[in-house]
Amino acid sequence: MSAPRLTSRDWLGKASAGLVLGFVLALGLSGLLAWAIGVSDTFFSARGQLAMWSMSPVWCIVLSLCFLFRSGLRAWAVLGLASAAVWAALYATGMLEGMSA
Amino acid sequence: MKVRTDIVRMYKDIHGWVGIVSGLALFVAFYAGAITMFEEPLQRWASPPGALAAPVPVERTPELVRAVLAAHPEAAKGYQVNLQIGRENPARVSWQAGDRGGDEHGARRTYYAALGADGKLQVEEHGPSPVAQFVDVLHQQVGLMLDHEVAMPIMGAIALLYAIALVSGLIVLLPSLVKDLFALRAGKNVKRMWLDVHNLLGVFSLPFHIVMALTAVVFAFHDQFYDAQGATFSHAEERPAGAGPKPPVPGDRVEPLAPARVVRSLAREVPGFTPVALAYGKGRDGALTLRAMGRDPRYGLRGPTYTLAILDPATGAVKNADYLGGRQDGWGAAITSFFALHFGSFGGTGVRWAYFLLGLAGAFLFYTGNLLWVESRRRRERKAGAVTQTRSTQVLGALTVGVPLGCIAGISVTIAAAKLLGTGATEPMHSLIYHAVFLGFTGWALVRGSARGAVELLPASALAMACIPLSSIVFAAVHPLQVPAVDIAAGAAAIALMAAWNSTRRRVATGPADSVWSAGRQPA
Repeated sequence: MSAPRLTSRDWLGKASAGLVLGFVLALGLSGLLAWAIGVSDTFFSARGQLAMWSMSPVWCIVLSLCFLFRSGLRAWAVLGLASAAVWAALYATGMLEGMSA
Repeated sequence: MKVRTDIVRMYKDIHGWVGIVSGLALFVAFYAGAITMFEEPLQRWASPPGALAAPVPVERTPELVRAVLAAHPEAAKGYQVNLQIGRENPARVSWQAGDRGGDEHGARRTYYAALGADGKLQVEEHGPSPVAQFVDVLHQQVGLMLDHEVAMPIMGAIALLYAIALVSGLIVLLPSLVKDLFALRAGKNVKRMWLDVHNLLGVFSLPFHIVMALTAVVFAFHDQFYDAQGATFSHAEERPAGAGPKPPVPGDRVEPLAPARVVRSLAREVPGFTPVALAYGKGRDGALTLRAMGRDPRYGLRGPTYTLAILDPATGAVKNADYLGGRQDGWGAAITSFFALHFGSFGGTGVRWAYFLLGLAGAFLFYTGNLLWVESRRRRERKAGAVTQTRSTQVLGALTVGVPLGCIAGISVTIAAAKLLGTGATEPMHSLIYHAVFLGFTGWALVRGSARGAVELLPASALAMACIPLSSIVFAAVHPLQVPAVDIAAGAAAIALMAAWNSTRRRVATGPADSVWSAGRQPA
């Protein structure tokens, strides 16, 4: 394989992408999960709690594996694109209609 | 399994750094967490006999409640009827109230009530010992006794580092997993032996550690997670006010069902569930509420020691069974299992002992990780031409000795102090004692260096551990002994610490002179 060698030197760029975009991804995916399993009333229902719990493994996995990106810039770009795709899907489901912002 | 060598080397660096940043805090969290497995027995051991009259039978509880509400109307907001009475739970009825002039931020006091032989109300403020609760908070806040709001995000950051350490450690080990796993090379190369121990502990308790990392992230950040979801997703709007017209509030005229009848109703409706307490209260809208706390050995519990069911206060029928084993749906069972897997609150005493040992093994895992970091840094520095260790390696070596031993000794002394403090004990007192010992040990290790520090602090830790059975003997007259298993366990731990002292002395005398374990080159 001709892939460039990975080192721990660019850790700050990669880890910051994993920390910030990992959270954005986890939040987006938890929204899709909430939509899929039909969290309807409050977030303290068992289904709502499950959607909240789902954020932890997603965030941890992205944060742990983000070092496999070739560079910090690439990590930000790829995770950014993935987040955009997830949040576009969220928009399509109508989950964002009540956004308070 | 094959993993590219550059990836292994990169994750080795990452594993080392996240480990050294989080390792000492994780040691405290796991050691204290292992002890919380026996929070209830420890509380029974530490609580002095109370001054209250014997509790009234459950059938006479309404009489006691009426007397409490007449004298202390604020208890109507929420009071608890305890069905299982012991030293750890001394009164049939107890309630909490804020301090005078305090809002919800003020300290809350707990009051305990009984009826004397003359039928007169007795109220006592001295409850069971707070030491078990203190150890639990120490565990939750990874040893950082800061304000809860400040400590939790730090704990969350530690939990995230811990997750990275697990994944990176696994990736580093994968290529040599088959070769290294069952090898424990206890030969000349002590570092190799520590590495084998570290790998062995890490791999075999990996499922436990994955559970702990993922649940700890949620415990630290659930507020932020809920807030982010609430601010983003549309159905969150329904939460605060848009619940439609409220049903008419029943008001005060409806009497809640008496405890004895609630117990009978539960026994009919949920056989196998043993209620331990009933919490009567009033919601914000004035409507009566009723929750039953209890356990069912066949199912995992939502809390560390009990699970919850929401009951109809007028009939005692179960209204919400999300956390009630056997009655919950799949979603509720899934959520309950996440909590039960963290708390070890499933499967009874055997699982508690297993979690206790896994917790201690986890603490030891972080200790060995720190040792390895310090030792490999020494080698790298020597290769780079340094003759003595750099200051930072010395400091980390000293902390690797001082923090774990300080934590062990601090918890031991503050537990033993429960017998000395008696009914006057408060959580801040226990915190003060713990921190005095912890800081003393850590400071001593920093001044004396890791090697001398270890040789001097290990017998001190054994002595601290021995204080637990000693306090039981000294105060046996005023505080009759309960749960002698606590004393036996502490005695065994004291002996184990003495054995560790013995081998450390040998290592310090015969080990390489430039090691952090050599007494020769430490700063005076």
